[in-house]
Amino acid sequence: MEHEELDDFERELKVALERRPAPPSLKQRVMVRRGQRRRPRTTVIWMRLAATLLIVALLGGGLRWGLQQREEQRQGEEARRQVMTALRITGRALNQVNSKLAAHNHGGE
Amino acid sequence: MANDWQPDLERLLDEHQSMVFSLALRMTGDRGLAEEIAQDVFLELDEHLGKIRSPEHARFWLRQVTMNRSTDALRRRKVRGTDLWVELEDGHAIHAEDRVSPVGTRLEHLLTTLPEAQRAALILRYQEDMLPDEIAAALDAPVATVKSQLQRGLKLLRAKAASNLREFIRGA
Repeated sequence: MEHEELDDFERELKVALERRPAPPSLKQRVMVRRGQRRRPRTTVIWMRLAATLLIVALLGGGLRWGLQQREEQRQGEEARRQVMTALRITGRALNQVNSKLAAHNHGGE
Repeated sequence: MANDWQPDLERLLDEHQSMVFSLALRMTGDRGLAEEIAQDVFLELDEHLGKIRSPEHARFWLRQVTMNRSTDALRRRKVRGTDLWVELEDGHAIHAEDRVSPVGTRLEHLLTTLPEAQRAALILRYQEDMLPDEIAAALDAPVATVKSQLQRGLKLLRAKAASNLREFIRGA
């Protein structure tokens, strides 16, 4: 087909199908719509950034609160262990004193 | 040379708006819809500017996307060429200053009554002066199919013209 000569009908068709000029306002309308589309895009970027920062802040706060809780729990456990140790030592000392008193009482009789 | 080329929407608009608008107009037969399609195509191009590698690529991309968007628009409206033509006849679809000649105008009208695929092939062949393999690439169809659509479309258009236009009876 590409090597064939155009006949009269095809020539007439070619003339009929010459490009039409675009409406004069087409370019301006495209540029206006382009501007309108870009503005929301910038807003969306800022909103996404703000949302990301908020999520990061919440996660950071939660993580910090969790670590603080764990530290307090650890300190509480440590204090309990120290109290138990002190009580055990005191108990043992009292037992020794009791034993000595009992032995002394036996010797006196 | 091609590597130095930087796509610029305004320049591409100046160069190709007539091509894009004419393709959409001939595919849809509706001036308003064609303008809408042309706007959408250029806005889509704006989003893809980074992927456009050369002026030839830009022209190919615009032709391909315009044909696709026109077909989409026609399917959305579920309107055939004949129905669209009623709209053209009735009103405001083609401006008087656009009209080439009464015969040319009638041929354009008849073109809108052809099946979509044949119409697309003929528009690219006779408006854009494209070869069948180029049309096949733009329409994403096999070359043999495009050649067949061109032949069948031309035959059908000749037949319609012969019965509608006495001027073509001898040439048909």
